[in-house]
Amino acid sequence: MSNSFTGSNRLTRRHSIKLLAAAMAASLLPAWPGFAASSGRWQKAIGASNKTLPVIGMGTWRTFNVGNDARLLAARTELVKAFFELGGGMIDSSPMYGSAPDVMGHALSQLDMADSLFAAEKVWSPAGGSAREQVADLQKRWKIPQFDLLQVHNLSDWREHLAVLRELKAAGKVGYIGITTSHGRRHSEVEQIMASENIDFVQLTYNISEREAENRLLPLAKEKGIAVIANRPYNGGSLINNLKRRGERLPGWAAECGCTSWAEFLLKFIVSHPAISCAIPATTRLEHLQENMRAGLNPMPSAENRKQMVRFFDSL
Amino acid sequence: MNNYVSYQLQDFIPFSADVYFRLLERINETWWPLHLLGLALGATALVLALKKRERLVWLLIAPVWAFVAVVFFMQYYAQLNWAGHYVGYAFLAQAILLLLLALAGFSRSKVSAANTSAVANSRPAAVAIGLGIALTGLLALPLMATLSGGGWWQAQVFGIHADPTAISTLGLALMLLRGWRLWLVACIPMLWLLLSGLTLWVLQATEAWLLFAVLAAALVGIAVLCRYPEKKA
Repeated sequence: MSNSFTGSNRLTRRHSIKLLAAAMAASLLPAWPGFAASSGRWQKAIGASNKTLPVIGMGTWRTFNVGNDARLLAARTELVKAFFELGGGMIDSSPMYGSAPDVMGHALSQLDMADSLFAAEKVWSPAGGSAREQVADLQKRWKIPQFDLLQVHNLSDWREHLAVLRELKAAGKVGYIGITTSHGRRHSEVEQIMASENIDFVQLTYNISEREAENRLLPLAKEKGIAVIANRPYNGGSLINNLKRRGERLPGWAAECGCTSWAEFLLKFIVSHPAISCAIPATTRLEHLQENMRAGLNPMPSAENRKQMVRFFDSL
Repeated sequence: MNNYVSYQLQDFIPFSADVYFRLLERINETWWPLHLLGLALGATALVLALKKRERLVWLLIAPVWAFVAVVFFMQYYAQLNWAGHYVGYAFLAQAILLLLLALAGFSRSKVSAANTSAVANSRPAAVAIGLGIALTGLLALPLMATLSGGGWWQAQVFGIHADPTAISTLGLALMLLRGWRLWLVACIPMLWLLLSGLTLWVLQATEAWLLFAVLAAALVGIAVLCRYPEKKA
């Protein structure tokens, strides 16, 4: 899929200058390897590999669990279509998310534009069946031949599942493997796994109000070349909803790093962390998706901007 | 961070409010006009309960629970929540329990002679609470859909949806049963109403408060009836 600017995203002189400035700034940042600006949309390398990933992906918790409701299936298909049109890549789901994998399968089968799809799924013990059975079942539900990434959901029986996922990867049946956690749970165990196991991805909660991962997990991920997916970028919606409800305004300097909405402010903060590969906000609304995807455009906050963002957020 | 403290109620609700209310709407679109039969069954059961025709009441209500188990939970709700099948099995168990009450007739309870007059005094209060709860399930809950802006197609109806079925059954149980039999029959409806109330609360639906009020009233009714023990055999 093309990532070129189209329609309202047309490249202007101002954009060009900002792009140039951002590119120069990026070249001066020693701690930010692994990302590449592609037509203004930010991508980051997956660990030490050459493959890159758009920094804004899409989560499906709650939002894609619509059962076989024809009206809502059509609405979610439109959302996935827009996601790809806006340069989206990673879509993350789980057998824990009810009908979300089936809904994704329905959407993908309706669309002929999923080349950029980076399909991420999970295995989860309470879903029943072995890890292999779960993966086979999920592939049928997504209607795709194989996943790009398979993760152990919330560390459930991670030793057994990770062993199976490693076999699948060795057999070429999945591109990458990883583990997930959320809400800051079991970070010490996550750290042990990251340090001792050969994994490509770790998914954890990281946002401007939950920055615990900065202490140990993100540096370790950087050191080990493990790609990091940030879940709950809006803290389940409460973070952005509270800011909007209180009528908080963006600081004037936010525009310098391309933040024209709270969505962009919050997401750009996340994906500009050197260790974060991708954030996966979830939504059911097209306008929110568009806001989210704009966060993946240049310019990005510098290290100094990030400090400013934290200071500003903490002062609210 | 403590793993258990970090969980919030919303972490266990895998669907959004609009999807849940669309689910109710889709069930209504599919099964209309079976709702009329459901309401007629509920109203008949209520009249029979007032006439203390216990076995007939449970005979009418048992298939309703089986229908809700299979259609509401297993065919629809389980699409959104993997736990839906298990709740469906619980509703089927309740259907079997009610059928046993109807066929075996061991719902009749005895009271000690010393407590006869006390029970006679407490019974009208429990019947009134039970009647109020049963009417809430039959009439108030369906009306709430229109009051909360959902429209008639999102109305929850006795015999079709889980909440009004559980509410009215709880009311009927209060009108007819005492002691361990009351607890036995009330257990699954109350657990479901607690679960559903918490779900609706997370979804910020007004109906949540009605469900919590019903639970509180039912507990008061049970407490009134439990003051008078049954005679030991």
